[in-house]
Amino acid sequence: MNIALALSPLLVVALGALLLMLAEAFSPRQGGLALGAATVLFVGAAVAGGVWMYGIERLPEAASLAPWLLLDRFGLFFDMLLCLGGGLAALLAGGYLVEHGIERGEFYVLILFATLGAMILASSGDAVTLFLGLETMSLGAYAMTAFRRASPRAAEGALKYFLLGSFAAAILIYGFALLYGATGHTDLAGIGATAATARTPLLVVGAVLVIVGVAFKVSAVPFHAWTPDAYEGAPTPATTFMAVAVKAGAFALLLRVLLIALGDASWTSWAAGWPPVVATLAVLTMTVANLIAGRQESVKRMLAYSSIAHAGYALVGVTALMRDPTQAGASVLFYLLSYTVSTAGAFGALILCGSHGREAVSYEDLSGLGRRHPAAALAFSLFLLSLAGIPPTAGFFGKWFVFKAAIDGGLYWLAILGFVNSVIGAYYYLRVMVYMYMREPAAGAPVALPMRSGYVTAALLVSALFVLALGLVPTRAIEVAVRAATLGAG
Amino acid sequence: MLSLFPSNDYLLIAVILGMPLLGAFVNGVWGKQLGKDAVRVMALTAVGLSFAASVAAFVALSQLADQQKGEHVKLVWNAWEWMNTNGGAGGVTVPIDVKFSIDALSGVMMLIVTGVGFLIHLYATSYMADDEGFARFFAYLNLFIFSMLVLLLGDNLPILFVGWEGVGLCSYLLIGFWYEHAPNAAAGKKAFIANRVGDFGLICGMFLLVHYTGALDWNGIANGASSLLHTGEQARVHVWPLGGGQYTGVLSFLQPKSPVTISAATAVGLALLLGCTGKSAQIPLYVWLPDAMAGPTPVSALIHAATMVTAGIYLICRLSFVFVLSPFVMVLIACVGAATALFAATIALVQNDIKKVLAYSTVSQLGFMFLGVGVGAFTAGFFHVFTHAFFKACLFLGAGSVIHAMHARIHDGDPSQDLRNMGGLRRWMPLTHWTFAGATAAIIGLPLTSGFFSKDEILYRAFVNRTVNPAAAALQGRVYAPPAWIGTALYATAVAAAVLTAFYMCRLYFLTFWGEFRGWTVGRPSLLSKHEVAAHDDHGHGEHHEDLSTPGHPPHESPWQMTVPLIILATFSVFAGWLNPGFGLSRQPMEHWLEPVFKEATEGAVVYAGGHDAAWAEHMTLPLALGGIGAFLVGTLLAWWMYVSQSGAPAKRAAEAQPALHRLLLDKWRIDELYDATVIAAVDSLAETAAAFDRAIVDGILARLTALVVAASGTVLRAFQSGVVHVYAAMMVVGLAATGWFFAVPHANATVVDSGNNDYLVTAAPGVGYAYRWDADSDGKPEKSDFGADSTLKLHLEPGRSQTVHLEVKNSFGLIRSKSIHVARPEEPTSSL
Amino acid sequence: MQSPWLSVLSFLVVSTLVGLGMIGAGRVLRVRARHDSPLKVRPYECGEEPTGPAWMQFHPRYYLVALVFVLFDVEAVFLLPWGVVQRELGPAGVGAALVFVAVLMLGWLYAVRKEALKWQ
Repeated sequence: MNIALALSPLLVVALGALLLMLAEAFSPRQGGLALGAATVLFVGAAVAGGVWMYGIERLPEAASLAPWLLLDRFGLFFDMLLCLGGGLAALLAGGYLVEHGIERGEFYVLILFATLGAMILASSGDAVTLFLGLETMSLGAYAMTAFRRASPRAAEGALKYFLLGSFAAAILIYGFALLYGATGHTDLAGIGATAATARTPLLVVGAVLVIVGVAFKVSAVPFHAWTPDAYEGAPTPATTFMAVAVKAGAFALLLRVLLIALGDASWTSWAAGWPPVVATLAVLTMTVANLIAGRQESVKRMLAYSSIAHAGYALVGVTALMRDPTQAGASVLFYLLSYTVSTAGAFGALILCGSHGREAVSYEDLSGLGRRHPAAALAFSLFLLSLAGIPPTAGFFGKWFVFKAAIDGGLYWLAILGFVNSVIGAYYYLRVMVYMYMREPAAGAPVALPMRSGYVTAALLVSALFVLALGLVPTRAIEVAVRAATLGAG
Repeated sequence: MLSLFPSNDYLLIAVILGMPLLGAFVNGVWGKQLGKDAVRVMALTAVGLSFAASVAAFVALSQLADQQKGEHVKLVWNAWEWMNTNGGAGGVTVPIDVKFSIDALSGVMMLIVTGVGFLIHLYATSYMADDEGFARFFAYLNLFIFSMLVLLLGDNLPILFVGWEGVGLCSYLLIGFWYEHAPNAAAGKKAFIANRVGDFGLICGMFLLVHYTGALDWNGIANGASSLLHTGEQARVHVWPLGGGQYTGVLSFLQPKSPVTISAATAVGLALLLGCTGKSAQIPLYVWLPDAMAGPTPVSALIHAATMVTAGIYLICRLSFVFVLSPFVMVLIACVGAATALFAATIALVQNDIKKVLAYSTVSQLGFMFLGVGVGAFTAGFFHVFTHAFFKACLFLGAGSVIHAMHARIHDGDPSQDLRNMGGLRRWMPLTHWTFAGATAAIIGLPLTSGFFSKDEILYRAFVNRTVNPAAAALQGRVYAPPAWIGTALYATAVAAAVLTAFYMCRLYFLTFWGEFRGWTVGRPSLLSKHEVAAHDDHGHGEHHEDLSTPGHPPHESPWQMTVPLIILATFSVFAGWLNPGFGLSRQPMEHWLEPVFKEATEGAVVYAGGHDAAWAEHMTLPLALGGIGAFLVGTLLAWWMYVSQSGAPAKRAAEAQPALHRLLLDKWRIDELYDATVIAAVDSLAETAAAFDRAIVDGILARLTALVVAASGTVLRAFQSGVVHVYAAMMVVGLAATGWFFAVPHANATVVDSGNNDYLVTAAPGVGYAYRWDADSDGKPEKSDFGADSTLKLHLEPGRSQTVHLEVKNSFGLIRSKSIHVARPEEPTSSL
Repeated sequence: MQSPWLSVLSFLVVSTLVGLGMIGAGRVLRVRARHDSPLKVRPYECGEEPTGPAWMQFHPRYYLVALVFVLFDVEAVFLLPWGVVQRELGPAGVGAALVFVAVLMLGWLYAVRKEALKWQ
């Protein structure tokens, strides 16, 4: 029974997904699915929180599932994070899909299954379960991207995402195949243990392929090209889900791989290991994404590039894993949390600004929002400030801890580049605020009207609460992150 | 008061801070629904109650100070624990709490902010009465008061920084308040960027402080400040090579013989100074402030003259005990201040926009304050902050009153601020005129007014004071000593700036209030308000023609909400100087009040020039005061002669005689253009390059190259040829190839660690499957012929000697890379900064 | 000393040779028809007569049916090894397999309800 308790977050979401699937198929009424999906996910988060409080260490039987499923605090943290992100996306979908006339119940089922996949991914300690989770997550995301069937843009984005995603998945699995060939292990811990003694070049080639495969999933430059197209084509709640949950799941995978499979001293060497590669990815990702984001005319696409840039900041923290896995890992976890609530909020605010099939897309659509809809503008501003990393918001501490980890690891230049980038980033976030508060819509221009939706409002309130709470009282959250990252190494 | 609130948990601070925040929230969210009257009441109540609570707190503080004579007393409120970081020598945990405190310094500032803030709020209720964004304006203004109070009362650097950013944000929002005008939005952006540059310095300073002192709260920094001055390597910041590394390989020519280092105190001081120059508009970051006058005039008065811009000086005063540890930074502060004072004053000479003149005058006056604190006269510098708050707020509000009146006649923004359209206003606006005259008298240093006392003290201190390193004895001669002529130079510059100040302020005053009104023929009839048209209707029906060549309505005096604040501020401008009259008088309340705050900083760090003693300095008081009085006389009389007795003719002649110089001054030395051409162009071109890269490399070359590859390799990739997915895939492949290349090639790299006893330990960087071979003397014959796992090599080197070690690394692919490592024992660093 | 890559290289060489060899052998060993024979242009010399172009679009329903088929195909594949060891696994094993089958049955129910298996 203890195993069931340890597994309960996964079980809750899995059972909820199955139930919701049946309900969607058999119930004559279609309403309430969003509420159901969000409830399942928030209950999942709460259950994960409950197991966390109870103490996963008190459930020794849970270890019997290792290495296929590592039921540790790291996994629980991601369970909470992913359920939160997925739940917010489900709430947003509840407003968005109805408003834009594409309300079909499959969407919520897809969100649930994709979240489940991400949770499995975050808990997996073996290449087999890892791939299982990764594909469950990705297939759901592909389908959600193409959800607006009539739109060529959605189809294009989904196809690109699918093709390149398959490409990356192939690279990843080929990498694991080579690692298996080199070490005789499919479990990460086994690969890590053997990596120290193995001398075979296969190991290196396999590791390169795995790193590249994961870099695709976190959409690090130059493996990011699919992101803007897919994010723009997808319905905004699906974009939210991809930006938030899929990315978080991918980071869980990255952390597990780097810490467990490639955590050896010769792998974490600054001269010849993965840190310089990850650092390069981080710098490229931040810089390229920020520079291009500033030139976007569509707010949605700008947010897509912004989410790429944020992966770059998180990679700064990942680089610092080489010195202090616990503190740096905690900084990444905290960053992901702050990023999740800020990004979900920003996309949610964007959703709130459109109605009746007319989405708010361009900056122009948002002009004068501060006057037309002060509450929406205020919420949007809060999330943008958080994304820009301005105190007292969650985003500030996200960046703070990540850069601090880099500095503690002796990577001053990386921290400085990250800081310079966040200054560049502030420019395009504030541009949105300039439009909201300091521009009036051009006369006669079609301007999207804000919608009224309890779901979206609820999602925004939850996000805003987290953004402010993490910004004002981050101590508790960082303690949680440190505990989660402590066990991540073993 | 103390019985109600204990001094270590002084909850009243929550009221002081909370009221403006509440006002901002209510006016911001419900302002539209509430209506103007309710907004007015809310805003005034919020600031008024905050002021009342501030007064109560101040009284309590002075009682406490009386009880504990000479102690640095504080009223503290620890709201909640915020976060932790680590730093200091042992990597101790540094708590950062949301904690506020009131001491002598922040208490005075708090009174200024809430008191002057209240007056300006009152003024604005009338000034902004017809503005559409009335509620928004007061929400921002209340939010500003809140942020400013956070900045002042924060008990540690991060909380100060929160306020620092908050006032920056409010300033940005209020500058762009009339965002319909493009230049206003641009000005807001400029302010934002300049401030962010400054913030970068502040953040660096914060990191350095936590790293060296292991604390971020004022008491903690004060206790740990001595660790900024250790003679050992740990308190030296390596400037070159950056971070204390070693340039090797192709960069080895950059490696200096002995590393260039500065003391941690200097590094901290420089970083914080950058932050202060940004906020307080000093060279080189002053450019934003003159443009910031695009905001409504009450904003200029409150934020860009009286309070926010003095935050830099406040920070220097607050951390005075850190700054004095580096005499170099102190001299730099003084020089920056003096240069800014003179430079901004020259620009103010020829500006025609009434607010522009006052803006440059503010920059110049802030320069005086910097000069004061830079020479270690913290009280004098801060006292100028105090007096400046009154007279500059009064001047700005007076200017606002004038603009208000002019606008009612001209109905056009820019001409109603133009000095060339004013004149003779004292006839119609007596109250504005007299208050303006009082404030002008203060700023030009009319003897016995507040500006005279505060400025004179700064001039005097600039001449007689020297800052020296308080730990000079412990530093074994490695101390920076400023040149002997610096005091004279600073004094001369400051006196020159004072002459210019007197001149341009009198020019402003005479052009505005004296002579004949020159604005009859300016204005656009189409912009006449409906009210005015209705008033003229009795002259005849039908078409309305106003003949602008004949006198119409003269400008009128402003309502009481605007004149009452003017009167109060003017009174303070004239008389507040007696709080610290200097000249060796026995009653110096301000000096006495602030003494505990600056005691730590000035003891041992400030001496008299040329090794003189206090008696000499006393003797110099009167002779040096002649400079200030002379400056006042010269500037004022010159302005009188030029603009009153000769009605501006000499000024015209001078402009015509030196057209190039006049143009250059009018264009503000073209510094904006210089920045546009350098810094901004560089950032722009970087963004352009990235976009061009996207177009040229990704879309151009990569797309074509892939097409070529596809055509060559046939069928496999053809399936991907739809759209541009193949380009994306190609990027991934390139990335994969680059990553693969990195791991396929061995990386020969080594770190050199000084292991004591003149031994060096050369450690080759580890890598997967690496094997090493060493050749310690580089004679081409490795010690062992086979590659082995031994990744370290020990070397013995006497000082001044060097040796080149040859390292070969073989990876699991059998590839070999080698590297020569030059190990040298450098000479001891000799810098004294 | 033998490089570990030698086996990879030989594998590549042999596989290429086999592929090329098959084509080459086909060329050499094929039965040559006369050039004017109508059989020459036929894809198949016996069996169904092809109608219409080969690059036609398949009905999407085909994929749905195929997917569901693959699902249960794989289910059978997984159940086979379970059947071999189910005695050793005991009741817990039966339970696990039942859950596995039940989840798939739910999927089947969903597919039926959504009319994925109806051809109309």
